[in-house]
Amino acid sequence: MTLTVSFTINGAPVSTAVHPETVLADVIRDEFQLVGCKVGCDQAVCGACTVLVDRIPMAACSTFAFEAEGRDIVTIEGLARPDGTLSAVQRAFLDVQGFQCGFCTGGLILLVTALLERDPDPDRATITDWLGSAVCRCTGYLAIIEAVETAARLNREVAA
Amino acid sequence: MSLLLPSNRIHPALPSHPEPPQQGGHAKVTGAARYAFDAALPGMLHAKVLRSPHPHARIRGIDTAKAAALPGVVAIVTGADARALALPTYGFTIQDQPVIAIDKVRHVGEAVVAVAARDERTALAALALVDVDYDPLPALPDPAAALAPGAPLLFEEPQPGFALPVGAGSTSRKEPAPNVLYEYTYTRGGVDAALDRADHVFTDSFAFSAINHYHLEPHVNVARFEDGRLELWSSNQDPFMLRADLSRIFGMPDTDIRVHTPLIGGGFGGKSYCKMEPLVALIAQKARRPVRLALTLDESILTLTKHAAELTLTTAVGADGRLLARRADIVLDGGAYCDASVMVALKTGFRIAGAYHWDALDVRSRVVRTTKVPAGSFRGFGGTQASYASECQMDMIAHRLGIDPYDLRVMNFLGPDEPFAPGDSAIDSDLKGGLDEVCTRLGYRAPKKAGHGFGLAVGIKDGGGTGNHAGAIVKVSQSGRITVLAATAEIGQGAGTTLCSIAADVLGLDAADARYGAIDTDVTPLNNGTHVSCGTVVTGSAVAEAAASVREEILAFAAEQLQCAPADLALEGWAVRRNGALHPLEPMVRGYYGGQGFAFTAYGHVKVPYDDGAPLRSQNLFWMPCWTGAEVSVDRETGRVTVHRLVVGSDAGRIISRRACEGQVAGAAIQAYGQAMFESLRYTPALQPENATPWTYRVAQAADLPEHFEVFVTEHMRGPGPGGLKGIGEAGMLSIAAAIGNAIEDATGVRVNAMPFSPEAVLAALDAADPA
Ligand code: FES
Ligand code: FES
Repeated sequence: MTLTVSFTINGAPVSTAVHPETVLADVIRDEFQLVGCKVGCDQAVCGACTVLVDRIPMAACSTFAFEAEGRDIVTIEGLARPDGTLSAVQRAFLDVQGFQCGFCTGGLILLVTALLERDPDPDRATITDWLGSAVCRCTGYLAIIEAVETAARLNREVAA
Repeated sequence: MSLLLPSNRIHPALPSHPEPPQQGGHAKVTGAARYAFDAALPGMLHAKVLRSPHPHARIRGIDTAKAAALPGVVAIVTGADARALALPTYGFTIQDQPVIAIDKVRHVGEAVVAVAARDERTALAALALVDVDYDPLPALPDPAAALAPGAPLLFEEPQPGFALPVGAGSTSRKEPAPNVLYEYTYTRGGVDAALDRADHVFTDSFAFSAINHYHLEPHVNVARFEDGRLELWSSNQDPFMLRADLSRIFGMPDTDIRVHTPLIGGGFGGKSYCKMEPLVALIAQKARRPVRLALTLDESILTLTKHAAELTLTTAVGADGRLLARRADIVLDGGAYCDASVMVALKTGFRIAGAYHWDALDVRSRVVRTTKVPAGSFRGFGGTQASYASECQMDMIAHRLGIDPYDLRVMNFLGPDEPFAPGDSAIDSDLKGGLDEVCTRLGYRAPKKAGHGFGLAVGIKDGGGTGNHAGAIVKVSQSGRITVLAATAEIGQGAGTTLCSIAADVLGLDAADARYGAIDTDVTPLNNGTHVSCGTVVTGSAVAEAAASVREEILAFAAEQLQCAPADLALEGWAVRRNGALHPLEPMVRGYYGGQGFAFTAYGHVKVPYDDGAPLRSQNLFWMPCWTGAEVSVDRETGRVTVHRLVVGSDAGRIISRRACEGQVAGAAIQAYGQAMFESLRYTPALQPENATPWTYRVAQAADLPEHFEVFVTEHMRGPGPGGLKGIGEAGMLSIAAAIGNAIEDATGVRVNAMPFSPEAVLAALDAADPA
């Protein structure tokens, strides 16, 4: 049995046939070749597969593809402007080297993007609270927290 | 080729470097970075593996008929297929691990049947149709059980392989006793006499727990057999070691095997040495199609751990606190198979001396086989186990003698230029300087808050490996752009950035324009692997040598064009200066070679020489210190430990990228901090892994960080690499747990001898010391 689901991905409307038990991560990776969506734990723990679903960060490994029906999906490939200009969060992660192996990075950047949309100036506790839906085994988090604070500042500078 | 030797000089300070551009950084923040996980080939099948539910069992039979009949299933591989291989087993120097279980399973999670099918869903459905008939055998839960007289044997016969050769004072023995995989000893001076003479002798035992690497990208491989060649896209961090293993296993010439190493999503030792790569190749061979096997994190947890260990130290000390002699008995739980256990045993034994001066040492380090997940390398090959025991005992001795733990360390430290052991290289860091920096940052001399305790610890390990060597190619195109080819895998440590910076430095060209080439064993120069923090020093020295040769080549070319001697010329950016005049190189190259241009190309190769006079048979290349300070408080009611401050420092010799160096130390420190505080792989009494799933296996997250966590990296300028460089990747793990344990003792007066320092363990220790 297959279902047809329609949604937008990085701004483009799409339709695809999926099994009922297919997860969003597989559709994003295999069907749309947006392999910046990484699968680490495959169980909604590590956040490597995080995508924005109607601007809410979701674990694509543990979201059924049919749940995307009618929604707006953003992956890491959809964050930079078409001319290649990085978003403030991407810029910040790059500038402070908020990554090592980078396997967690796409998911983290989307998670932080959603955080700053809700709270443009989060305090430490809010940041670590949000980072609770992600694991980075490489960095020890210091550089990631610095990246979040840097991104918030970049956003403010643009707004000012 | 040149020989690479430990440095015995202080390099002049270099002008401070701006942060070099991160190789591949842009790709990582835009989702464009490609990992082994993303490798895909046309017509590729997907494999899944059925794993043993038993810690120890004989396999009576496997019925795959129903699975084979499932539409979409292409190949099924079992031990019968493995048996037909030229060498059906692998392991570093002792090859005891079957490519897939043959006749017997020896740990829960061992691969028993593999299915390749059109997709993972079909492969999993097929596995559900396989029947394996097991005859359970008695399990060996820990080294004590495995060493008990009459204990069941994990292997009835000696396994293929050899004991790694060692140098002066050391012995190395393969399978010296039942269920003992390997034994290393090291002896110098007369320990018995020293123990007899000493004012104080203290014997203490320390238990160290097993943890998993938890690299976010699980182990993943894509293999294809085509036209007599085996080609692999692998997350393995040792492309050439893997090629050599596959060559032995399949009985194929090594040059018929081609390994590609894309970006690797974290490893920490978990992706070094051969693992399931031969299995993936075997499935691809049988299926006659490309095959991908991506483990899940659950499966990765059942693939490898860090060694749990029991370390007993008997240490003789003078009345004044001078360390005299130490006897160490180290028992490492190797799990079911060798993997890299030989290296871990040898290095734990070597490193148990710590950063101190001794008159005599007598060390025995054994790996015992148990029916648990195999243990292997984990960021420092036994360095953390050794540092933990040694640095905890330092504080215990200090308290017993009424000496400040800082003073006890400083009075016994090896000075810069003092050899670590007779015949070995000298310490190339200022150990006291680093510890002083920790004390300053921690406020060690300031009055303590009520109920708080301070703990210090200084770990040290050798770095750069034993007799390692590396090749590198540096190319400079007609436009003055650099390409560096070397087999040090990019695993998050910034190998490409460092190696490109080294080449750009030598050539005086812009590192922003340098590229780190893809790793492909057909074209990339060979090295020993991405190990022992050797990337910057060993491979970096090969890159520097190649870059220097390219420079000569460029100057010789320009001299010919300008009809002068190379010595009359100086390279300045992408031009040569002769007397006052600057001659751009690009038109000169195009003028001579034509439109396609040219690449000046040179090869560099360095080798660390063997030296039988050194304990490990080669003088250690450089020393990696880890200075740690912790401030904690302990809730007497609950046993909960709060780490208020954690300060961790190391010495990079010379820094190329401060952010990368600090990131390595911070990342390693938080792995060790998680292990100290809560992380461990646990087993039930029936030897079922209790928490081998992402939901139950807890690793440190951002909210777990100490209230204040600070990292520093010094430049003592004494390393053997270009400009005084050393490696740093493994250092930050070494002494974290000891510093926290020491701080707990300082706060409570009680030594907690169980890792992790969970509320339960701490409360039990407090209650035992002071029954309410
Ligand atoms: S892969 Fe989805 S949360 Fe880990
Ligand atoms: S950078 Fe490797 S997991 Fe975060």
